Amino acid sequence: MSSQEPIQNSLKPGKWIRSTCKMCLHSCGSMIHVTDAGIINKIEGDPTNPSNNGKLCPKGNSAIMRHYDPNRFTQPLKRTNPEKGPGIDPKWEPISWDEAFDLTARELKKSIDEDPRKLLPSIEDFQKFNIWNWPLAFGNQNSFQSGGTMCGGAYHPVNGIVHSAFAVANDVKHCNYWINDGTGDGFSSHLHAAAQSNWVAKARIDRGMRCVTIEPRLSTSAAKSEEWIPIRPATDRHFALSLCHVMVKEGLCDYAFLRKDTNAPYLVGADGYFVRNAEDKIYVWDSVDEEAKLWDDPGIKKIALEGIYEVNGNECKPAFQRFVDILDDCSPEETEKVTTVPAETTWRIAREFAEAATIGATIDIEGRTLPLRPAGYNYYRGAQGHKHGFQTNHAFKMVNFMVGNIDTPGGLMGVTLDDQWVDRSHVEPGENGMMLPQPHQLGPLPPFAFPPTTHHLLNYFPVGLHPPHLNLEVFLNREKYGVDFVPDVMVICHSNPLWAIQGPRHKWLEFMRSMRFIVVSDIIPTETTLWADVILPSHDALESWNMTMIEPPHTEGMCLRQPATEPLHNTKSEEEIFYELSERMGILEGYNAVINIVSGFEHKPELMLELDKKYTDKEIARRKGLLWNDKDIDWYAERGHAVTERRTDKWYRPWEGMRLHFYIEDMVKERDQLKANMEEADVPFRNDWCWDDYQPLPTAVLDPVHEEPAEYDLYGIFYKDIQLNFGESLSNPWIKDIVYRDPVHIALILNPKTAAAQGLEQRDIVKVESPNGFLFGRIGTSEGMHPDTLGVSNALSRTKTSHKGVAHAGGHFNDLLPYDLKNTDAVTGQPETVCKVKLTKLDDWPEGLKDGKSVYDLVDKLQETGGGGVH
Amino acid sequence: MVFDLRRCIGCNACVVACKQENSLPDGVFFTRTLSQEYGVFPNVNRVYIPTLCNHCEDAPCQKVCPSGATYTRDDGIVMVDGEKCIGCNSCAVACPYDQRSVMTKESFEDGLYADGNLTPFEEQGYTRFTPGTVTKCDFCSERVDAGLDPACVATCPTDARIFGDLDDPQSKARQLIDERGGKPPLPEKNTKPKVFYVS
Amino acid sequence: MASAQPAIVGDSFAVGYRFQRYWGTSMASAFFCGELGAGLFLVSLYYSVNAGMILGLVVTAVLKTYFHTSHMGVPAKSWRAILRPDRAWVSRGLIMIVLFTGFGVLHVVTGAYGLFEMGSSATLDIIKIVAALAAVGVMAYHGFAMSDSTAISLWDSRLMPLVSVGYALLGGAVVTAVLAGPTQAGDVSQTAVSLPSLGLVLVLLNAGLVSALLYGAYHGSPGARISAEMLFKGVFARQFVPLVFVLGLALPFALLLWAPGSFFVELAVAIAALIGYYAFRVFILRAGVYEPIMNFAPPE
Ligand SMILES: Nc1nc2c(c(=O)[nH]1)N[C@H]1C(S)=C(S)[C@@H](COP(=O)(O)OP(=O)(O)OC[C@H]3O[C@@H](n4cnc5c(=O)[nH]c(N)nc54)[C@H](O)[C@@H]3O)O[C@H]1N2
Ligand SMILES: Nc1nc2c(c(=O)[nH]1)N[C@H]1C(S)=C(S)[C@@H](COP(=O)(O)OP(=O)(O)OC[C@H]3O[C@@H](n4cnc5c(=O)[nH]c(N)nc54)[C@H](O)[C@@H]3O)O[C@H]1N2
Ligand code: SF4
Ligand code: SF4
Ligand code: SF4
Ligand code: SF4
Ligand code: SF4
Ligand SMILES: [Mo]
Repeated sequence: MSSQEPIQNSLKPGKWIRSTCKMCLHSCGSMIHVTDAGIINKIEGDPTNPSNNGKLCPKGNSAIMRHYDPNRFTQPLKRTNPEKGPGIDPKWEPISWDEAFDLTARELKKSIDEDPRKLLPSIEDFQKFNIWNWPLAFGNQNSFQSGGTMCGGAYHPVNGIVHSAFAVANDVKHCNYWINDGTGDGFSSHLHAAAQSNWVAKARIDRGMRCVTIEPRLSTSAAKSEEWIPIRPATDRHFALSLCHVMVKEGLCDYAFLRKDTNAPYLVGADGYFVRNAEDKIYVWDSVDEEAKLWDDPGIKKIALEGIYEVNGNECKPAFQRFVDILDDCSPEETEKVTTVPAETTWRIAREFAEAATIGATIDIEGRTLPLRPAGYNYYRGAQGHKHGFQTNHAFKMVNFMVGNIDTPGGLMGVTLDDQWVDRSHVEPGENGMMLPQPHQLGPLPPFAFPPTTHHLLNYFPVGLHPPHLNLEVFLNREKYGVDFVPDVMVICHSNPLWAIQGPRHKWLEFMRSMRFIVVSDIIPTETTLWADVILPSHDALESWNMTMIEPPHTEGMCLRQPATEPLHNTKSEEEIFYELSERMGILEGYNAVINIVSGFEHKPELMLELDKKYTDKEIARRKGLLWNDKDIDWYAERGHAVTERRTDKWYRPWEGMRLHFYIEDMVKERDQLKANMEEADVPFRNDWCWDDYQPLPTAVLDPVHEEPAEYDLYGIFYKDIQLNFGESLSNPWIKDIVYRDPVHIALILNPKTAAAQGLEQRDIVKVESPNGFLFGRIGTSEGMHPDTLGVSNALSRTKTSHKGVAHAGGHFNDLLPYDLKNTDAVTGQPETVCKVKLTKLDDWPEGLKDGKSVYDLVDKLQETGGGGVH
Repeated sequence: MVFDLRRCIGCNACVVACKQENSLPDGVFFTRTLSQEYGVFPNVNRVYIPTLCNHCEDAPCQKVCPSGATYTRDDGIVMVDGEKCIGCNSCAVACPYDQRSVMTKESFEDGLYADGNLTPFEEQGYTRFTPGTVTKCDFCSERVDAGLDPACVATCPTDARIFGDLDDPQSKARQLIDERGGKPPLPEKNTKPKVFYVS
Repeated sequence: MASAQPAIVGDSFAVGYRFQRYWGTSMASAFFCGELGAGLFLVSLYYSVNAGMILGLVVTAVLKTYFHTSHMGVPAKSWRAILRPDRAWVSRGLIMIVLFTGFGVLHVVTGAYGLFEMGSSATLDIIKIVAALAAVGVMAYHGFAMSDSTAISLWDSRLMPLVSVGYALLGGAVVTAVLAGPTQAGDVSQTAVSLPSLGLVLVLLNAGLVSALLYGAYHGSPGARISAEMLFKGVFARQFVPLVFVLGLALPFALLLWAPGSFFVELAVAIAALIGYYAFRVFILRAGVYEPIMNFAPPE
């Protein structure tokens, strides 16, 4: 027996390669085992990577099944059937790479020679900004990609303004009271899910950190928390404001922090602007001398946070007082009517939170004495993804501002996206002692222009992220928006917009039909690849090079992806694909110039790419490694990464000495500037613009979703879990094997009382309708669902593709969601991601979903209850 | 093995890690993490319960095995010798925990993509199994012999699976059981499991 | 406190009652044939119905072996099932079957038909007794094999082997009655009980045993109760009750009371009883569930 060859995969003869996971956008460290025969047979977490400590989530554990997926594209393909649509066979014909590049470059060039804006890109690999930003090479700023908007359209800009960072996470090493609002962070999703759940579990169990989850449903986070607070969807801002109300009323705030480290004491005039002197210096009020002084006056005795004052004959208030005024209407008793959270609960949570924050306490870390605020209000997609996203994010920040925990041990920390090089701090000083706000974390936006230069109106969102859903709004009303160009070619890479973007599919399909030419680079068939004229198949993550660092919550440092095997098929790296296209389109120089900027090479001139050359994925990766720590690719190839825990000087209060934006005056400025621009350019839709969305302080305004017609009597929400990377991983047999056995992913979920009130039972087939669209599904019940809510897992979201492993779910939640301006935050472009729905019971599945054709048949098969065994 | 129910987030990374490590066909699990909701809105919660073979000291699966294929190693790991197993499934109906897996011929033929072809991963992995036999978790005995943690333990994001020698008072597993009152699953079945749950 | 009743969960990742999925219809058929053949042999031996003895041997040795091997994952290695009689009922059963087949055949060729000289009548008696005892063993071991699976609470009952024996005898009696009718081979006069009366008694006995088994299950552990409920009012009730109780027990009882001895009645009785018996075998396997792992109550 002992002389036998090992039968467990990790022990078979072979070698281990250190690399980086890419089964979601994040970058946990991995180790890949390759047998002597060159077969990848085990992937584990890399224990030397302090981010994920050797752990992988189920997606990371399932990468092999994507690599060997027989549905993968194995060579370039050309469509021979001109007819397009779901269920219509494109009749692919294999073509050579040369032909594919020539054909694609010719078609793309044809359009951009006429007008660069005629190209619509959807390119969104978070691990490769060098590809993502390719359209900038010819000055194109359109976007048809969803990344960042549905989830973080308002989140990232507000983080940029408050922390000068992309994301946020509570400081897990010191936090003792962790509020999770509408996010799976630490339990099922968001930042490095495998890593974060490891850190959070240690904090929970080893240190006794208390968790409270605010959610319409009993998510994993809620289930593992000490307390779940069910909330009506799209009302989280009201809850946050009522927490602030309690803390203000009871004096539970960190006043020292607010006075010294924020602009809360800056005086604001009735017009919403700070009160300035002729040199643009801002006034504060000295409550001892009872007079206005400039903010940096060394003679200030006590800086006022509250009160009404008069400066130069104008009435004004400290910004903090303006917030207190708003909070007057936000008592827990008042917000309960909106949120359904009992007022007593809100009072208690606010007190517990403030108490846990130990206001006044300090901690010594590496020679610095820092405030210790071990309580943080953490939040993400579910909580922030609403019409008034900017105000909503701001409200969540305010809960943290109240206790002075911003970027402070134990509190809410800014998490950078991709630091690029070791020595740089992401923080810069701005005007009047304040930190420079950096809302544009993904790069600069196109300036105001009318007619618009972008097809999704990005010219009008002053601190926006690309709102891809507005492509549909514009497509249907081009004249109204004065759009004087018609996009007719699409370049799609690493993106599945026909799955990801909200708005009804049948309208999106019209949009797709209006395209003259669509090229897609992906690895497997999806809803979107069905529309391609040319497929340019790329390597997968086990066959290619890359260097990345994507939003690691507690660590920093570049992570290398290196090939574990030769490419299985006739595929290419995205780098090669975009270089070849660029060369043939005559935009190579522009492309290299873009990469030099977005990859940060310009900061180390010796790393700059020569403009007329093409580079491999390995070479780009090598230079990113050098940029980070001057180590060459061999150093990385051996170690896999340069990850260390975040250095405390950059992690904790990197803005020391600057003031944070409690009051976001830019909102007033941007509004007025945009208004003036629109007036001047006589923009026809300026009166439809939601000017009230621009608020320097968050208010208790209701999101319009609450005002849908009464017949839509339930809220529809969607969610993912740790096994799912959006809907994409549902083609993976290992993921399917676990997802469709999990009760929360196999039905449209209602609270049992709600189901009864609607005359529905488990397993009833229903049609779900919103004012925008519909889907079909099967009902399940759970006590862990807010009675106002219908929960739809992303596991029930796929529609027709040519991937044999993907089952039709009966429709897609995104069809139900709005795509109009009314439901879009006029500040950031953040769309509403919940909707109102009504349910109708059906006797049977509609045609097309009958007879074993829907995902529910797969569910039944896997779950099979009938006895009578295998033989 | 000890399962810390406060840690487990029901992610099933363990399940997929086990499938990778042991080349398991579709629908076959040596470990499963189950969930159970309890209570009534709003006082409701869900608990995630990892399960695998308990390597019972009085293993009913071994008792009923007519071929002698199921046996217990000196270190207490209950093993199945695929060469000896005849696929009578007696062990499967005898295991109170439903932890035996039938390795049907079809699953080896259909493959993970159910298209009648095997991926290279499957081709290199399935040779360890004899189609038609019944098998189960062996605590990753080869990894354990090599001084490694079982695959499911190594990957568990929350460290909810603690592997160790229960007879060693110094082991973390033993200490957890003692400190937090570890309970075996279905003690009324008198199997003397070597897996305990702490909550 | 767990207020949500754990449900029947199939192979989903939820806590609950899981169906056993390992002993299916092949196994039910094997059990049925094994027991029926042995019962038929025994009853026919008693009533000296040679055709019944032969048929019984064929049913057990051929049909039972066929179904059993088709259940087996690795049929070529089936012989290995004999290796652990020290602890496994399946091994013991296999030995019984070998003994039963060997001595049964020997008895038929020597004792019943006297085709070979086998020495003294004592030897013949020994052959006959061993064959009869082995037949009892075959009848009973299936029940022991099931009751040994304490995992499935429905099966975990001391009544299980008795039910096996009871049904085997009932099956044996009704088939012997049919065979005895037209061939007239049996010497019924020398026995105290007529075959129809035996049938009646056995129907009553089985009705009692099955009821007791299910009653015990219903009042036993939660898993056994769920199983019993499924048979009475749950998913299986619409087949189990009419087939096992009405067709398999009540109808034979009525027919035997109404017109005992008539060939067509006996034929109808046999068909009905065997269908009921087979259905019992199938559903008692299918209704088996494992108990949910919930003894460590969820943290409050
Ligand atoms: N496992 C996994 N991790 C991922 C990803 C992935 O696909 N899979 N994707 C990555 C990306 S791009 C993103 S954007 C992040 C997102 O990560 P998360 O922020 O965790 O996003 P979701 O899981 O979509 O939503 C979180 C929760 O919001 C709840 N929710 C829905 N509506 C509301 C509401 O109105 N109020 C409140 N309070 N809750 C609501 C849902 O029930 C859900 O449980 O995750 C990243 N990490
Ligand atoms: N209903 C619903 N809609 C949502 C969300 C949701 O949770 N529910 N989430 C929203 C959010 S937060 C986001 S960020 C977006 C995400 O939307 P997308 O970014 O479109 O997400 P994916 O579906 O993961 O698409 C990624 C594509 O990349 C392909 N791919 C994977 N690896 C590679 C590779 O190495 N090379 C290439 N070329 N392609 C590769 C995959 O096959 C897949 O088609 O969706 C948004 N839309
Ligand atoms: S969280 Fe993302 S990067 Fe980390 S293991 Fe999971 S899929 Fe991979
Ligand atoms: S990997 Fe760990 S946390 Fe995840 S389900 Fe398994 S035991 Fe639970
Ligand atoms: S858990 Fe089941 S398979 Fe494992 S030793 Fe115990 S009885 Fe046998
Ligand atoms: S299936 Fe194999 S291991 Fe199980 S009892 Fe039968 S021979 Fe033993
Ligand atoms: S110990 Fe090994 S075989 Fe057993 S469940 Fe874990 S990974 Fe699978
Ligand atoms: Mo996202």
